[in-house]
Amino acid sequence: MIEIHFYGKLRKYSDQKSPLHESLIYLEVNKRDTIQSITNRLGIPSIEMSSCVFLNGEYSSLTRKVKDGDRLGLFPDNMLLLYRQHFKVEE
Amino acid sequence: MTDLKSKVEKVPKKYKEMGGRWLTSSIINDEVDPTCHPLGPNNKLVFAPGFVTGTRAPSSGRLSVGGKSPLTGGIKEANAGTPFSQMLARLDIKALIIEGKPKDDKFWVIKINKDGVNFEKADAYLGKGLYEAYPLAFDKYGKKVGIAGIGVSGEMKMTNAGVCFNDIDNRPSRYAGRGGLGAVMGSKGVKYIILDDNGTQPVKVQDNEMFNEGRKTLTNALLTNDGTKPGGMLNALGTAALVNVINEAGGLPTRNFSEGRFEGAAKISGEAIAEAVKTRGGAGRTGHPCHPGCVIGCSNVYPKKDGTEHVSCIEYESTWAFGANCGIDNLDEIAEMIWQCNDYGIDTIEAGGAIAVAMEGGLASFGDGKKAIELMKEIKKGSVLGRALGCGAETIGKVLGVSRVPSVKGQNMLAYEPRAIKGIGITYATSPMGADHTAGYTVGAEVLGLAGPMDPLDTDKGGLAKMLQDSTAFIDATGYCSFVTFATGDPDSFDALLQTVNGVLGTSWTVEDTGRIGNEIIEIERTFNKAAGFTEIDDRVPEFMKYEKLPPHNHVFDVSDDALDKVHG
Repeated sequence: MIEIHFYGKLRKYSDQKSPLHESLIYLEVNKRDTIQSITNRLGIPSIEMSSCVFLNGEYSSLTRKVKDGDRLGLFPDNMLLLYRQHFKVEE
Repeated sequence: MTDLKSKVEKVPKKYKEMGGRWLTSSIINDEVDPTCHPLGPNNKLVFAPGFVTGTRAPSSGRLSVGGKSPLTGGIKEANAGTPFSQMLARLDIKALIIEGKPKDDKFWVIKINKDGVNFEKADAYLGKGLYEAYPLAFDKYGKKVGIAGIGVSGEMKMTNAGVCFNDIDNRPSRYAGRGGLGAVMGSKGVKYIILDDNGTQPVKVQDNEMFNEGRKTLTNALLTNDGTKPGGMLNALGTAALVNVINEAGGLPTRNFSEGRFEGAAKISGEAIAEAVKTRGGAGRTGHPCHPGCVIGCSNVYPKKDGTEHVSCIEYESTWAFGANCGIDNLDEIAEMIWQCNDYGIDTIEAGGAIAVAMEGGLASFGDGKKAIELMKEIKKGSVLGRALGCGAETIGKVLGVSRVPSVKGQNMLAYEPRAIKGIGITYATSPMGADHTAGYTVGAEVLGLAGPMDPLDTDKGGLAKMLQDSTAFIDATGYCSFVTFATGDPDSFDALLQTVNGVLGTSWTVEDTGRIGNEIIEIERTFNKAAGFTEIDDRVPEFMKYEKLPPHNHVFDVSDDALDKVHG
């Protein structure tokens, strides 16, 4: 099971939509799951997302594998990472 | 200010192509003894608009204020977005230099219009909050003037006093905040500088065709980029949108830099501010510009529960400084403390840092917003405690025996934890400004690519850190808001920015020149700092960050001293 935190316009993918609290869902994952396969499963079109994706607080590419206990943070197209140059993209 | 005299000088050839930070740092390095007392007669205060300030270039209403900083003891450039910048440019003033020191304790208003300079007594405005004193001045001098001023903190020469400027609605809310330049202004007996640009000509542009071509391309880039476009990040959510991003990254300094994630982050974020504006209505605004001609509009007006105006504006750094850094998750309490900063004339970042250190020192519990507001009131009262708080985090830390003070060169760090985001820690440590995030900023800096491909973990070579500082220094000279660089990440858009600069100045600068100029600015500043007594030891992060692991990533700051020294070579 992983926990997924949604922000901005993506909060619609959780039951708790108020920006004042965590918009959080829990999802079962399998050994082959990547961040991309999860967003596909949830039906989130890539156009809605920015490159601002964090797995366990690490700036990550969509091809990165996920495992039980992970924390995924997803931001919409209009929430970007400032100082992106200082973050290595984890593959 | 010694004799209350002014003079107009022709621009020396050396400064002809300079503007903004390039000009302020050059003048300070040329004319100020680096060993002078910052509050004595030999320091100077310089105001300079950027190359394109006052023209139709988009989002270019910014100016630099320079001097020797009473907070850091080194050279300082503080930057503000305000209509005042454009008026200074339209008055054809390349740099306004305040020097000397009155022999008595009187304060003055310096009034400047196209006909000249007048000195008037400032007694009516002293000892008051700026939310009271600014309207009094606008009543007297007219609603269309520009006002640069200091609050009671500057009158009392506290080292966290900033220089306040009016916003587009005449609020005392735009600050050249960092480094205590308001105390320098106060030490020279200047309460207000009032500009009246009535009857002035538009700013001269050498090559209109080139300028306009660049302007159109750059404007279009800003209107289509996700960060800067209408409804984009900055316009819809403001800079505080970053709260949730940096918190998710585990890099949001919490409770005086003891953790990297704050459980109350959502409640103090740009999303929460936008929500309050939506639900409370009334005077609340997002998408508010800080100067005429800004196409981004990242500022806001935060409403109280009843819809009346509380404060403009809540920036990322401000909501972090009084929020996560103090363990406070209540936007109304944060708004009140930002209002207090604007009213007393102090920088929100250093003030929030001081309150957090005061909490660690036992004056309040982390999270106690009401107590924090009471502590802030001491600053206006001018009590000894208030004066200590008004001198920033390091001073109050010394007074209370706190060993964990997150400062570099005497200036408190910002809303990005160095142990989680090491590249920013390198900027904090090695910028001549002290701990400063905007010193190593430009989002689109990859286009400069002067140091080759950038590896974020390339901390041993320092190439990225130097390139970011150099490119940001160049942007600080242009008069453009840093945020235009969201949209200049591709060569065409950056070239468009250069076209506007070359069009105004009549120069033929290329990308390489911007790196050269940026490097020159940094070298001038380092030269001053070295003569002021700074050594490599001052280019370090605080000791505790080297051994204290920061949750949730549990990293320490392990960039070697050698790597830090290699940044500037």
